[in-house]
Amino acid sequence: MMRYEVLFLAVPTITSDEATTIETQCAALIKSHKAFLISFERWGKYYLAFQVRKNDYGVYFLVRFEVEDKDKQPLLEALKTFFAVKYNELVMRFVVTALGENGALEYHRPESLDSAPSREYNNSYNRESSDEASLDLE
Amino acid sequence: MSKLKISGRLLKKRTRKSGFTAAKRCRFSCGELPESAIDYKNVDLLKSFLTERGKILPSRISGNAAYYQRAVSREIRKARTMALLPYSQNY
Repeated sequence: MMRYEVLFLAVPTITSDEATTIETQCAALIKSHKAFLISFERWGKYYLAFQVRKNDYGVYFLVRFEVEDKDKQPLLEALKTFFAVKYNELVMRFVVTALGENGALEYHRPESLDSAPSREYNNSYNRESSDEASLDLE
Repeated sequence: MSKLKISGRLLKKRTRKSGFTAAKRCRFSCGELPESAIDYKNVDLLKSFLTERGKILPSRISGNAAYYQRAVSREIRKARTMALLPYSQNY
């Protein structure tokens, strides 16, 4: 059994209904190829490193599955069609990665905008500079 | 007085020997980081192998062994495809 993962980047305007539809259809596709879906995770909204299709933000999803060696090729091709053609308008980018046989499932996820704490203004510089200014006056 | 002549290469070698910079080493070979940490999703680690401009640091600066340097650059390219890392950072 080989483990694979697909990370796909969806448009920032994706609704929860659309995400659920993708999840159910993806799970059905994986099952139809005698594979086993390990997880379907929604990473959340991210500020992209560069604009993709004129979008500054995007929503990442991670799909992981296990498949037998003999069934892997048709499944990978079907997934390619699924993301690149069927959901072309919702999915901006995707990448398929082989994790190897019994590959480790732990990974480091970058912090999303949903989980990140609100940005607070650090006024320490201004305060310090004003202190210095007052010292100079003295 | 005659000026002491010294070649540029020798000068570099001497400054390198006498300098107080930390010895260059591969963080993966010496066991500080596991090989599994090299992953396109691990953006925080991969960022440490990029220049300010977003280019991949050469191994002569990062100190990575050739095997790990190839792995790091492969994962950086994958992360760039997914817009997790920039191709270039504009000022």
